[in-house]
Amino acid sequence: MSGSKEKALNLLRYLPRISLTNIRDNPGAKMARKRGRAQHGGDKHGDGNKGSGQRQNFMRLGYETGNNPFYLRFPKEPYYKGHHLKRQYPPLSLLELQKLVDLNRIDPTKPVDLVAIINSGMYKMSVDQHHFGVNLTDEGFEIFEAKINLEVQWASEPVIAAIEKAGGVVTTAYYDPHSLQAIVNTKKFFERGIPIPRRMMPPADAIEFYSSAANRGYLADPEEISKERFALAQKYGYLLKRIEDDPDYEMLIQRKDPRQIFFGLNPGWIVNLKDKVILKPTDEELLEYYAS
Amino acid sequence: MSFINKLLPFTRQFPILTEQLGLIRYSSYKSSYQLEDINPLPRKYEITKDPMEWEYVARLLPPAVIPEPLKKDKYPSGWKPQAENLSDRPYFIQRNKFHELPIYLKINTLKTRRSTVLRNIQGDIWLLEKEIRDFLSPQFFQPIRSQVNEFAGYIRIHGDYVNAVKYFLEQKGY
Repeated sequence: MSGSKEKALNLLRYLPRISLTNIRDNPGAKMARKRGRAQHGGDKHGDGNKGSGQRQNFMRLGYETGNNPFYLRFPKEPYYKGHHLKRQYPPLSLLELQKLVDLNRIDPTKPVDLVAIINSGMYKMSVDQHHFGVNLTDEGFEIFEAKINLEVQWASEPVIAAIEKAGGVVTTAYYDPHSLQAIVNTKKFFERGIPIPRRMMPPADAIEFYSSAANRGYLADPEEISKERFALAQKYGYLLKRIEDDPDYEMLIQRKDPRQIFFGLNPGWIVNLKDKVILKPTDEELLEYYAS
Repeated sequence: MSFINKLLPFTRQFPILTEQLGLIRYSSYKSSYQLEDINPLPRKYEITKDPMEWEYVARLLPPAVIPEPLKKDKYPSGWKPQAENLSDRPYFIQRNKFHELPIYLKINTLKTRRSTVLRNIQGDIWLLEKEIRDFLSPQFFQPIRSQVNEFAGYIRIHGDYVNAVKYFLEQKGY
């Protein structure tokens, strides 16, 4: 090989690799556009006549400068039918949950439910927008290490596996909008001075999910759940820790009654925040109504 | 209107007569009966003051301030606490109320420009700017353009260098 070729190849070896940060046009490939002047070149400078081009604002989303817009072109989109009535579960990832535990925004020594997650201040949901609680997503499942007794409204299989691998337990539970209204702002709810509502059973299209042991539903048979816990550990290949031998056994087995909204407080009770007293109904009629 | 209100008890006693007189207009809400107080419902409640039960209520109320993080051996989420002995350093960066480094990505209204803003800087801000520049320059092809506001205590860097600056400061213990 000649000397110049060798030199050129050597140069190539030392030059940085081409990448998005250093790619550019060949010199002279682009001519800078000059602003026109005088009678015919200088009037609009290529910005058009009036409107968004001249005023440097941008068109509203979906607007196609006078065309029949795409989003209006088709008269019917049946796959959206009833979407405004469907239950929504705003997501929370395992990574975010781990961060809440790390930063002491959630106390893992007590059972963690929707109230604890909302009171951390890092999760927002709105009942009037058909939000029904937390959908725990699997982002960060490989780093998740918090041992918690968790109750969420929706969880997928890898999420359940990540929590059980860390030695915790997870339950999926349904709350009706009336109960959620009490949950999203507990202080405001207690200040209203009304009895804690009775949690309703899930609607017909959700009862299957919340009765399934594979989803760790709150209506599922506990024996089925322990079988599913073992099956999932086999599937994902981790050693399932025995809850019975755990020092936090008492905390890990705490569950709410299917009619109960808050831990330790029964439906029908009235909480008085000012005098720090709890009013419990003694009427037979009320006791029968609020009984589980 | 007040005339009809005065007559309302009368209309209740003699509904047929008043109807014949044309005093009640069923199309108008103004002719409907006035609300009356009913006696309180005979519901019996037991008032309890059990501190054990009140603990469950206290647990439900949101904390008034953001709690301080606890000391742990390990933080799996990747969050790092600030090092304790930073008083001998030439500059200091105060964490924000969420216990995070105050590094933010700012995007302008037309979403055409991104800039990295590092806030809450105390001490020698010019030295910090130089150190960040020395850290970033060899790693990025573009020249690093930055602005220092000594009075407000922030550094603004043109472009998205949020993660790089965060890494640099975390290595130093801030």
